[in-house]
Amino acid sequence: MACGLTGTGTGTGTCGSSCYKDNNDGIEDSTNTFSPPSSTTLLPHMKLCYKCKEEEVINSTGGLCGICFRNSLFAKFKQSITTHDLISSTDNILIAFSGGPSSRVVLEFVHEIQQKAQKNSDASRDKLYPVFGVGVAFIDESAVTSIASDDLDNAMQDLRLIVSSLALPTKELHIVPIQSIFSTDLKDGRNKLNELLDTVNDVTGKEDLLCHLRMLCLQKIAFENKYNKLVLGSCTSRIACHVLSAAVKGQGYSLPADIQYIDARWKTPVVLPLRDCLAQELNLLCRLNSLKTLDVLDAPRSGINDLVSKFLTTLQEENPARERTIVRTAEKLIPFHFNRLKETKDTDETLPRRRRRKVNLQPYESVPSEFLCSICCSPINKLDMECLNSKLEGCETNFTIFGASCCPSCQFQILPKDSSSREQFYSLLPRQMTTRASDFIGGDQTWLREQIKDCLLSDSEDGT
Amino acid sequence: MEDNDGKQKKAGGRLCSICTQRKAALKRPKTLEQICRECFFDVFEEEIHKVIIDNQLFKSGERIAIGASGGKDSTVLAYVLSELNRRHNYGLDLFLLSVDEGITGYRDDSLETVKRNEVQYGLPLKVVSYKDLYGWTMDEIVKMIGLKNNCTFCGVFRRQALDRGAALLKVDKVATGHNADDIAETVLLNILRGDIARLGRCTSIITGEDGPIPRCKPFKYTYEKEIVMYAYFKKLDYFSTECIYSPNAYRGFAREFIKDLERIRPRAILDIIKSGEDFRISTTTKMPEQGTCERCGYISSQVCYIFSCLHI
Amino acid sequence: MQLTLEFGGGLELLCESVKIHNVNVDLEAGEEKLTMKDLLSWVRTNLIKERPEMFMKGDSVRPGVLVLVNDCDWELSGQLDTTLEEKDVVVFISTLHGG
Repeated sequence: MACGLTGTGTGTGTCGSSCYKDNNDGIEDSTNTFSPPSSTTLLPHMKLCYKCKEEEVINSTGGLCGICFRNSLFAKFKQSITTHDLISSTDNILIAFSGGPSSRVVLEFVHEIQQKAQKNSDASRDKLYPVFGVGVAFIDESAVTSIASDDLDNAMQDLRLIVSSLALPTKELHIVPIQSIFSTDLKDGRNKLNELLDTVNDVTGKEDLLCHLRMLCLQKIAFENKYNKLVLGSCTSRIACHVLSAAVKGQGYSLPADIQYIDARWKTPVVLPLRDCLAQELNLLCRLNSLKTLDVLDAPRSGINDLVSKFLTTLQEENPARERTIVRTAEKLIPFHFNRLKETKDTDETLPRRRRRKVNLQPYESVPSEFLCSICCSPINKLDMECLNSKLEGCETNFTIFGASCCPSCQFQILPKDSSSREQFYSLLPRQMTTRASDFIGGDQTWLREQIKDCLLSDSEDGT
Repeated sequence: MEDNDGKQKKAGGRLCSICTQRKAALKRPKTLEQICRECFFDVFEEEIHKVIIDNQLFKSGERIAIGASGGKDSTVLAYVLSELNRRHNYGLDLFLLSVDEGITGYRDDSLETVKRNEVQYGLPLKVVSYKDLYGWTMDEIVKMIGLKNNCTFCGVFRRQALDRGAALLKVDKVATGHNADDIAETVLLNILRGDIARLGRCTSIITGEDGPIPRCKPFKYTYEKEIVMYAYFKKLDYFSTECIYSPNAYRGFAREFIKDLERIRPRAILDIIKSGEDFRISTTTKMPEQGTCERCGYISSQVCYIFSCLHI
Repeated sequence: MQLTLEFGGGLELLCESVKIHNVNVDLEAGEEKLTMKDLLSWVRTNLIKERPEMFMKGDSVRPGVLVLVNDCDWELSGQLDTTLEEKDVVVFISTLHGG
């Protein structure tokens, strides 16, 4: 009976019982032990890796040995890079390194492909084959966290060691305090940053604002040091969390912008090569390969973000494939035109996923511009934009003009409600954010009106 | 209580932010306003009226069945709809439509509540039972298939039973009591199970316009808290027990999550619905096929499987 | 202190299906007033017979349980800090049951 139901996949599904099995992970299969090769000395209770059939299986790898487990993760990383052209040989990429397992693995894997590229180049006759460059950025947030200075010093030492102990080619390390986006004087910047965060009442809003500031800071490092791509370690679990948080914050429209392999809405495009790996897998890899992480810097999440991550932990325990399913749902939403690189060429047409993505992207080629929120850079829905436009009528202060260029979610959770904090908030914002607003809106609102008109037109064309 | 000075003091002497006369009785989750009981009745009813008008849920002269389970949502819906129908001259013929799944100790009790509502609100009641429609009660089905998947069975059966009951009543539309919390929960569940087709549809206020009988949700933007408060203050007669056959932990997690969210940010419920409405879902996304049952000729995507499974 | 406690929306099932309880709650020694926080722990010990997790989470009611003190939403009177007086009526209603 159950087969009939799960087979159709169209049920009301209130039970959601057996439909979500994902064979990729978690589920250990006792039939994986096959017949052990006679060459290895094995204890009778040992299970063998189902891939190489030589080494012993490591727990929670889904039946793999340590080496095959690493290879499988590396393969996912490599696959996303090649399928979506995330890194090309002429690139100079900046890795955003937080010290957590995900960014640690990114660093490791990027280093590996860089070394391979170097070898190939060295082997080539004229040595003209270019090798992409790699830099590492660490954003020092000690200005706003309560980390003990000893711990921070130790972490910085570890950080330098991690980067310097990687073999050639040398990777430049940029350790930049987050307050540097406010002022060149770090003490002044620190005060401004803290004052700014103090004007935000909502704890979730505070945390999210800090996150947007971090991105500004990364973009600044990339721009000033001539990197042309920013690599983030966002993994499936992180993205699943973001999908739910965004839904809860009313950001359903902009959600697909944030979860793609490529996000080119920034001056320096952002790429996510670990998008298909689970946090659990990356943690395990760090443990198995003794990759040092800077756990002391881990900040607990707060408010909505904390609730979402706890909810997801519960769900993941109930069904280990849940995070993947969530990301897969969000993948089916239509991405934005900036979710690919301009020079993307069609290389491999054999992959069905790639074809599907192409189809999804096509209708939006005709609408290349989106209005982006001045704070979080999320594209704003046309209905919200009309509402925003009506708010612009008769606005006077800097704050109200700025506020009108923010998405409803930022308006709610970040912008201060009481008039006394408002102008202060605006005066403290880093220049990048305020210019973003005035760039878009300008002195008059013609641009905005044009945008709305465009949106409405393209809407009827699409037949949506 | 209002005549008691000692009690008034307790609410900090807070007055209703609408009438500024009477003592505030609740905090609205939607607006965080503190309002008195009388103003609450007004805004609650008028908001639903506005939703009905703005979305053109009904046309004058239509026959409307209210899906009535005896629970809080459908009881309040029946009460408010008959009230608004009178007050604003909607010109609707309202009926109560109940499904008797045949679950002893659950549906038989709640049906008694619906029968009292029939008298209290003067709305004609029609009960359709699984036993009559399918020859099986839910008790008998559970006895046969056990507790696994029974919610799926029951859900599919109930959907169809409502349609058939609506056809018998010759109504133009069925109004159901799904509230904002329910819809937010459904949005989350569809994200969690990767069901993009349903994710696209689940926030629509009217569904099934292409099907035999459209359904609408006048409580789409109404908080569960307000529905329960309304029922309590109006002393409405409703039945509240969880179905004895619903073991679904996973749905429970989602519900609990919504309630946790509401506590720290009441607006999150409406934000989830907004997200659901704004999702960029391709219109070419394949929708589940609607087939026709070979046995009864009824439009259905799934019932045939179930019937063949049960060897009915 | 004499109080009337009412359980609805399915919560009555946790206390032997009795909806209205007229109870006498004594103040803790040294305490001057009874708060909702005190009352909740008293209810949990003395009235709830099964599945206390359906009623409470941490030291407060489970999210989704409405509380009214003298027919007034406890969110207006300070929730756990609400102080109770002689002959007060406290109502607990679960919103978590089917509709």
